[in-house]
Amino acid sequence: MADSIQSEFVTLVSCDGFEFIIPRSAACISGTIRRMLDPTSKFSEALSGRCVLENITGIVLEKVCEYFMYNEKHKDQANVADMEIQAELCLELLMAADYLDT
Amino acid sequence: MDNEVPLSPTTADSAPSRRLSRFDDRSSQPSSDPALFSSDDIPASGLENYHAPVAGAGRKRRYRGTWWGEQVADPKRKRADFKEKRNVDSGVWMGSDESIAESSLPSEDASNWGEDLLKTVLDPRAPSKVSNAPSLFKASDTVATTVQPRPVIFQGPVESEEHKYAKAVINDCLEKGDDSVDLGSINLRYIPPGLLRPLQHLTKLPSLHEAPISENAYFSLQPFLRIYLSNNSLTSLYTSEIFDLKDLKVLSLRNNKLMRIPEAIRKLTALQVLNVSMNRLDELPWDLLWLLQQGELKHFTAHPNPFPSIDESGTAEWHCQFDKTDDENKDEDEDELDIPEASPIPKFRDYEGVPPDDAWTPIHVATGPVTRLDMEGRILDDSPSFNAPATSLPASRAPSLREVSLRAISKLPGIDQLTDSELLEFPALVIPLISLARQTRQEGAQRCSICQREFIVSRAMWTEWWDCTPHENGMKRPRVSGELLRPLPFKRVSCSWACVPGVQAVE
Repeated sequence: MADSIQSEFVTLVSCDGFEFIIPRSAACISGTIRRMLDPTSKFSEALSGRCVLENITGIVLEKVCEYFMYNEKHKDQANVADMEIQAELCLELLMAADYLDT
Repeated sequence: MDNEVPLSPTTADSAPSRRLSRFDDRSSQPSSDPALFSSDDIPASGLENYHAPVAGAGRKRRYRGTWWGEQVADPKRKRADFKEKRNVDSGVWMGSDESIAESSLPSEDASNWGEDLLKTVLDPRAPSKVSNAPSLFKASDTVATTVQPRPVIFQGPVESEEHKYAKAVINDCLEKGDDSVDLGSINLRYIPPGLLRPLQHLTKLPSLHEAPISENAYFSLQPFLRIYLSNNSLTSLYTSEIFDLKDLKVLSLRNNKLMRIPEAIRKLTALQVLNVSMNRLDELPWDLLWLLQQGELKHFTAHPNPFPSIDESGTAEWHCQFDKTDDENKDEDEDELDIPEASPIPKFRDYEGVPPDDAWTPIHVATGPVTRLDMEGRILDDSPSFNAPATSLPASRAPSLREVSLRAISKLPGIDQLTDSELLEFPALVIPLISLARQTRQEGAQRCSICQREFIVSRAMWTEWWDCTPHENGMKRPRVSGELLRPLPFKRVSCSWACVPGVQAVE
């Protein structure tokens, strides 16, 4: 994958090795990931399009990716339906939200 | 077929002697069971003994049961043993059944059940508090999964005198069907949970006037619920119970120490009279204006309160006319309306004759600047620069991930029971957010004043100034022509940056 051309998709890797490939625009909802992937920053993430999130487990990252797509989908809508979140995930999701700045 | 009574067998030879019972008759073996007659097994009842004295003469023999399986009634047997048989569970629970009541009702340590569960749900990694408790079974300590009994430490808060008094007043009102609940001047510092809830079920009693019944003896039994909490020391209405009283018609909170009125007041749709004067309010919830406009609220007393003046807080936009006589030296501002430089005095427009409709309704006077908040609810420092709708961050109605997870957390069972010390066990980063979720659960969720969605972290807030003079004097008279307006600050909050007024105007 050439460095100069930004691919449309990015890969998010959880700490236990799960990989999620999602559209770049969706991933950039998160402030942290947006800064990671900023092409001017010359971070290795920006060059490879692959973000390793060391403190997020696969289960949580799956939900986070679901949220990214949910946000992407409802960006311009007036009435946004709620997203289903299991009770056991919500605290870890809150921690992940804090880390990802979203 | 077994139950059918067998017919008497056809006897080939008519028995020469009827002295013998038919059972002794060998010659005629019946193919079926012998027929039974009422007198069969009592030998003395034969025809020969027709006149013989019967044991227990003078009294008729009493039989029990069917005629073929009859038994002589035992006079010594009492019907009382019937009672012993009744011990089986009928499935109907009677109030007097104490034995069953004890076992079926949860014991008092049931109040602790939810806490352990909550803790494991909220943070599976956090060590359960159970292990700290002195264990009764040392041996089971090795088995991590066994649920160890917790010492039951359940003490209700010590009820203070004023709460006892308030409870007595409410019980008295419930008993007498009195819909005017006077809890004034009893030095109430907060409303304990459970105090006002019984008033939901208040019913008026019909009056027992002696005849002749006059015309005014007939009145509605619908309670006209009035609660007077004036002259107390209430600092917050954190309990949402008062806002669950859907039938509340009159609420007086005069002379308290309230800092704010919860948004949940919107639920009191039947409210007609509200008095919040002599408190420490510097703003009013937007939902109150909704009650004035859409609800039944007709008499609203807001002054005196330390509301800021419209000049101090600054305005972004004016929506009304000004006193023309005063603004000779007015300057042209960037807005489309003429705004005098110093101390504008908004006034109602001039009219002649019949007061127009808007002489009665609240009037939007001005809108304050919008304060934007970040995803954790902190005020952004550079808020003026964000006022331009197109910024680097797009204004989206989609909630943030923090908001989404907080909504899920606020729906967890028992989150409103979380104490401050338990809160500190959470990771430090999320403590303010979780306490926000707890507050939401306790006070009821806030609603975005634009899109009406429930939310937890507000993203923008601004003040709108509305003049409610007709409501303040109880809708007795409309605004007169050219009357000076005395606007009240109503605080609006919104769930997302897409809901702030500038963006709304585009839609």
